[in-house]
Amino acid sequence: MILLFLTSGLFLGWSLGANDAANVFGSAVGSKMVSFRKAAIIASIFVLLGAVIQGAGASDTLGKLGAVNAIGGSFTVALAAAVTVYLMTKFAYPVSTTQAIVGAIIGWNLFTGNHTDSMALTQIVSTWISGPVLGAVFGILLYIILKTIKKNSSIHLVRFESYIRTGLLIAGAFGAYSLGANNIANVVGVFIPAFNLHSFDLGIFMLSSSQQLFLLGGLAIAAGILTYSSRVMEMVGNNIMELSSEAALVVVLSQALVLFIFSSSGFSSFIERMGLPPVPMVPVSSTQVVIGSVIGIGLYKGARNINFRILGEIAAGWILTPLFSGFLAFFSLFFVRNIFSIDVGRKIERTGDQTVQMIQVTQADQHISEILQYLILGLLITGISAVLLYYFLERKKKIELQKSEEKFWKNMK
Amino acid sequence: MAVFTRTTKNLILKIDEFFDNIDLGLLVFREGVKAYLEKDMEAFNRHIQKVELLESNADKLQRSIENEMITHSILPQHRSEVSSLIDSLDEIIDTIKSSLNEFSIEMPDIPVSLNHNFISIMEASVSAGEELIPAARAYFKSPYTVREKLLKVYYFENETDKVSRNTTRIIFQEMKDLDLAHKAHLRYIIHHIENISDNAQKAADLLSAMAIKIVM
Repeated sequence: MILLFLTSGLFLGWSLGANDAANVFGSAVGSKMVSFRKAAIIASIFVLLGAVIQGAGASDTLGKLGAVNAIGGSFTVALAAAVTVYLMTKFAYPVSTTQAIVGAIIGWNLFTGNHTDSMALTQIVSTWISGPVLGAVFGILLYIILKTIKKNSSIHLVRFESYIRTGLLIAGAFGAYSLGANNIANVVGVFIPAFNLHSFDLGIFMLSSSQQLFLLGGLAIAAGILTYSSRVMEMVGNNIMELSSEAALVVVLSQALVLFIFSSSGFSSFIERMGLPPVPMVPVSSTQVVIGSVIGIGLYKGARNINFRILGEIAAGWILTPLFSGFLAFFSLFFVRNIFSIDVGRKIERTGDQTVQMIQVTQADQHISEILQYLILGLLITGISAVLLYYFLERKKKIELQKSEEKFWKNMK
Repeated sequence: MAVFTRTTKNLILKIDEFFDNIDLGLLVFREGVKAYLEKDMEAFNRHIQKVELLESNADKLQRSIENEMITHSILPQHRSEVSSLIDSLDEIIDTIKSSLNEFSIEMPDIPVSLNHNFISIMEASVSAGEELIPAARAYFKSPYTVREKLLKVYYFENETDKVSRNTTRIIFQEMKDLDLAHKAHLRYIIHHIENISDNAQKAADLLSAMAIKIVM
């Protein structure tokens, strides 16, 4: 039953993998610098790593916004967000999973009569603006640096492109890691307060209950990347304006940096030590950071090539996505509670500064932990098989080409 | 990663070797035409053989470069243009080979008084081709300098047109003792030498557009 409730989160993870994760390698695949197969494998691996290793930061902030305290509520909230993402994608809006989940949580708060933490909300909403702006700033700066290097170094074009390709793979892996770390909160964040699993000892390290949830969410994202992101990836690159290979690298790198900044507690405390205000650990929309970065490059190049309609769509998305998701969550919660008689959560009692959370925690379940063990084992086997298959396919292709070349020149003689 | 670095290095070497072939082809053409005009047929035949070897090597390199760019997804955004550039440079060496072969097969009877004119046409036409090679190399290393290098290609193409027009005028208006078939044959040979600079100009137009795209 618990796993059934989790399906809406996994569905949300799948759509995040299909749409948001496509942003990481979108410009690289769209500009044909990296093949989809390679991009999908790297993105899947690093999204998983980011989610499990560094996913906690952004999840805490999302938890402050509204601690969904019943598994039925988590299911409905995640489902409302997933449906919103699906519908917005269908109508070709640059949708943000973050905005969808935030809207849905606020919908839950309203339905259960819980107070929405205005501090957390302000932090999250401010990043909807600062994310794309920071993306644009990084985009311009990195583009200028790269162009200057290209102009002054006299590197052969073929070699320069090979550096760019290597850079794209590294930056893409970093971007995927940051995406996993930052956006996993959107996927399974709402389940954390209502979910409790046995810690899972992997020998080298322990996976806590929330890390196991992150792992499941990461798997769903990886499935989304592998199964459905190909079309989106090829579209993303050239949607706003045609991207050169160096612009593609800049977009991937700036997106990775922005997502990393908003999910790294280490960076935040470093900023704090310098006497600056700490960076909030908030899930940021990768779509909008990418768009910000592309627009930044476009502005630097003279703004002639930019499709300004996209800017209007982003602004509309800031309002439409959370509103639609919030309403959907509110009405869905009503139906789930009154028609299916499932507990969707209750009001959290507050006494002064102390918050007494009446979270209905599901008891640790041995069976789910066992299922997860099998999942991890399956993942390892699938991953290693995929890498081996990829290696042998590439090798076979190379040998066949070499043979056909030799045959051609033999016949020519 | 090491495999990829090796592929990159190989491709760079092949592109350079291809340009060397075209450059050498132009040099051999110049020497070949001079040898023909000086009636040194032994040297002329040696130059034909050399050009044939260079042309065949250029074909192999062209095919190999295109294959490597496709199979290793190298220069995905510039691949079609680089292929077109290499194709148009290959046309230059093809023209060189066919021109020398026409000299060899048709043995045009060029009056000694026109030797100087033919050498001038050939020099201008070959120079247009020769000036194209550094511009093509610059596209890969310093694209900002391509357009200034191409100015010389356009200059020599223009010069070739002028000198060949004058020579054709001399043949048809001043050399009354030549019959019409002989005059038409000489015009035909001039036209073939001119083709080298015409092809160089076509490649220069392409290169110029490619340079703008890469610099933007």
